Amino acid sequence: MGWEATLITALLLLLAAFLTGAPLFVAFLVINLAGVAIFLGQAGFGMVANSIFDTANYTDLATIPLFILMAEILFRSGSVDILFDAVDKLVGKMKGRQYVLTISLSTVFGALSGSGMAVAAMLARTLFPTMRNRGYDTKLSIGTMLAGASLAPIIPPSVLAIVIGTLSNTSIAGLLIGGIIPGLLLASLFLVYTMLRVRLNPSLAPDASGDEVERVSTAEKFKAVASCLPFGLIIFSVMGFIMFGIATPSEAAATGVLASLITAAYYRRLNFSMVLEALGTSAFITSMILLIMASSRMFSQLLAFTGATSELTNLIVSLDWSPMLMLFIMMLIPFIMCMFIDQIALMMVVIPIYQPLLSTLGFDPIWFWLIMLLNVTVGGISPPFGYVIFAFQGAADRVTISEAFRAAWPFVGLFIIGMVALAFFPPLVTYLPSLL
Amino acid sequence: MVITSRLALWHDKTSQFGYYLGCLTLGIIFGSYIVEVFGRYFFNSPQWWASEAVSYSLCIGTFMMMPYVTWKKGHVAVALIFEVIPRKAVRPAVWFTYLMGALACGFATWITGEETMRQWTNDVHIMAVKPVPKYIISVFIPIGFASSTLYFLRFLDWRKIDPDTAGATGGFGEN
Repeated sequence: MGWEATLITALLLLLAAFLTGAPLFVAFLVINLAGVAIFLGQAGFGMVANSIFDTANYTDLATIPLFILMAEILFRSGSVDILFDAVDKLVGKMKGRQYVLTISLSTVFGALSGSGMAVAAMLARTLFPTMRNRGYDTKLSIGTMLAGASLAPIIPPSVLAIVIGTLSNTSIAGLLIGGIIPGLLLASLFLVYTMLRVRLNPSLAPDASGDEVERVSTAEKFKAVASCLPFGLIIFSVMGFIMFGIATPSEAAATGVLASLITAAYYRRLNFSMVLEALGTSAFITSMILLIMASSRMFSQLLAFTGATSELTNLIVSLDWSPMLMLFIMMLIPFIMCMFIDQIALMMVVIPIYQPLLSTLGFDPIWFWLIMLLNVTVGGISPPFGYVIFAFQGAADRVTISEAFRAAWPFVGLFIIGMVALAFFPPLVTYLPSLL
Repeated sequence: MVITSRLALWHDKTSQFGYYLGCLTLGIIFGSYIVEVFGRYFFNSPQWWASEAVSYSLCIGTFMMMPYVTWKKGHVAVALIFEVIPRKAVRPAVWFTYLMGALACGFATWITGEETMRQWTNDVHIMAVKPVPKYIISVFIPIGFASSTLYFLRFLDWRKIDPDTAGATGGFGEN
């Protein structure tokens, strides 16, 4: 069998295994064990065992549970409520203020949580009922919340950035810090789009007077800023420590957890049962993610062993297409796939195939993988399989899944605009990592 | 019947224990890094053991938590199929995923168990500042797979498969 047939067969079988509905780690195990039996024979099974061991013992991956734990402590303790109130006070009286509040809060939550699902669920429970009751357009409200929640995997801390960094052997610190500007750029795009829509169609938001906003004095605004300072400590403990080279991403994640514990204690919301629950959830999610990673690692080794990876690289070189066209094709495939396959699973398949091509095409790894991060993040809000949408719909009252999907489409378009901007202006991604 | 129920109860209790062990290992990871950072900057004494403690804790925690995740059907799955196939086909489809899980995890138990035995008999050590026998850490991998295999086998009980709960997120949830 030629390498093309091997590669296509392996990918199709893997896709079929995913679509059976079996857990992703099981799907990977089945395909990898079958692949090892065919190409390496029984002697290769020891390699599978060792690849599982090596992945589960990879220290950099400890960043994942720590980032999850940090957000869990803040959300479970209710410390984020203070942040919520403060941002609410700081956003002035204007037409469509709840849209602005949603996007601003999502951006701040994005800097505290690495998972879009948690942010989406929180916004659905807190802001969404208020917006609906006050006469805000349901579709635009849902859209801003889904888009805002999708900033969490881009703005550090980002669990997905760690997964990508680990698998592609790219600087995790670079990927985390590189996500700051794209995250803020997207938040700005969402704001501009929403305000433009409200301006063109005033019925999308009630009058500023109908928003029932209390008058907030300047002193109260200062007080609101002061109440948020402990959150600044958390953000500095993560982003600041990485940027100033004080700590590695894993160590920064641990100091972030410490800062979140201090913050919860400062607000008198720290207790043992809450910490235990946060530990349990974090360890649970980590086990789930690491099992997929450990079970899938052999896939890349098999592709390399069969020669598929190197032959594909040779083929790409011989095509002599422009790098931008290649970038478009390389992004289009995951964009479509992500509508059907889980983001992490997709990364496990795509990274071993794409990684060897990057140096051939002269792409900066941090730039390329950050655009990819945006690309797979869109998968969370694009039909028919969107994690963020499911999380939102599960937490929101009286929202149908089709309503949520329709609401997400314009923001999928904004994500694409953001990706195009990053593709044509690489410094938007590479500037901050270059300071490390 | 009583014996199988009692065995199932014990199985669940060991998974519950694994859950707490998973929490403990995460606590160790956090503590190790904090001691490392503070030791390095405030006491000028990097800890040789911190990185190793993190690495071993991550492995132990992942595989000790694994049976609990399987028990609670918390593994991520692309569950779209259960929404698009006819309702009467959902139960066999879910049953098939459990069978796949049992076979894959059973096979993984065998190969990882055999590798652990090889490490034990050949006295293989982990390359580290203080080398430790590799089987002490790797033994948790076949344990996690074996216990998950048992869960998948328990799920194969046709009567307990509920086609309605397999819909939104599939036979397995998403967390």
